[in-house]
Amino acid sequence: MPLLPAEPGTPGAGTGAGRPRRPDLDPRGPRFGAGITAGLLLVVVFLSLTGASVAALSLLVVLAALFAWGAIAGAGRHPWGLLFKRFVRPRLAPPRELENPAPPTFAQGVGLLVTLVGVVLGLAGLAPAVGITAAAAFVAAFLNAVFDYCLGCQLYLLLVRSGLIGRGPATAR
Amino acid sequence: MDPILALGSVLALVAAATGLGLAWRARQGRFTEVAEAPALTPADVASTVSFGAEATLVQFSTEHCSRCPGTHRMLAGVARSRPGVVHVEVDLTHRADLARRFQVLQTPTTLILDRTGRVQARVGGAPHKAGILAHLDDLPGSLHATLAR
Repeated sequence: MPLLPAEPGTPGAGTGAGRPRRPDLDPRGPRFGAGITAGLLLVVVFLSLTGASVAALSLLVVLAALFAWGAIAGAGRHPWGLLFKRFVRPRLAPPRELENPAPPTFAQGVGLLVTLVGVVLGLAGLAPAVGITAAAAFVAAFLNAVFDYCLGCQLYLLLVRSGLIGRGPATAR
Repeated sequence: MDPILALGSVLALVAAATGLGLAWRARQGRFTEVAEAPALTPADVASTVSFGAEATLVQFSTEHCSRCPGTHRMLAGVARSRPGVVHVEVDLTHRADLARRFQVLQTPTTLILDRTGRVQARVGGAPHKAGILAHLDDLPGSLHATLAR
């Protein structure tokens, strides 16, 4: 399969190219999962707005747990990803290219952080925080699912720029 | 809140997110002409590869960038198909100084350098191949631009 060949004859090498990438993820999988997550986050927003605080908080806890699963086990082993592999991918044409699982896994971590803030504030009695954090996470998941926008990629670059991660010269890989 | 009003708010949220997405997509891959840029050397972008005799495509990436590998393939293919054009990919993960110096706000960001190393255009987001080819044709001193004169 023509999946990320080693590009022989390409001098495309600044400091980074030629590093070993492990593209083994169908990029449609994380987007499919983001669609389900976005739908469920919208339910949290609705429950929170109608005053069903306990139901809203409970569902947000479930979603935070799912984000934790994706962030720790990797985007390829997320429950929605398994659902995609089992039921959706067999019905689709093979992907044109595979993706490195690092960006969607990082995005799961961002989702975990945002929903966890909502859960903690919700448990502390600040019920509106559940709806607000769910709305924020919804926007990111929706943009990912519908527009293939990668908020995690954007945040990663901002963290690099601010010097919080990736400090120092590249080590030999 | 009344369920109907709550449903309206939820729909408004979806509409706002759609608007954001459309605005983002409209800006993706847009070319910005750069005037009066100083000439760069490979060392300026931490490249071990020499720049092209005709043009250089400098692609800024990070390790967490879903569209960078696809852009890499496309730009490397352009470089292979056009003599004198070189593609250089710069990983910003460990070079925050370069990200700040070149004001990279999204990845991939691509700079189109002419034969002297001057930045002629930049593209934020995944560029379209046709746009890259058109810009290479229009570079000062390129065969195409010379013939057109």
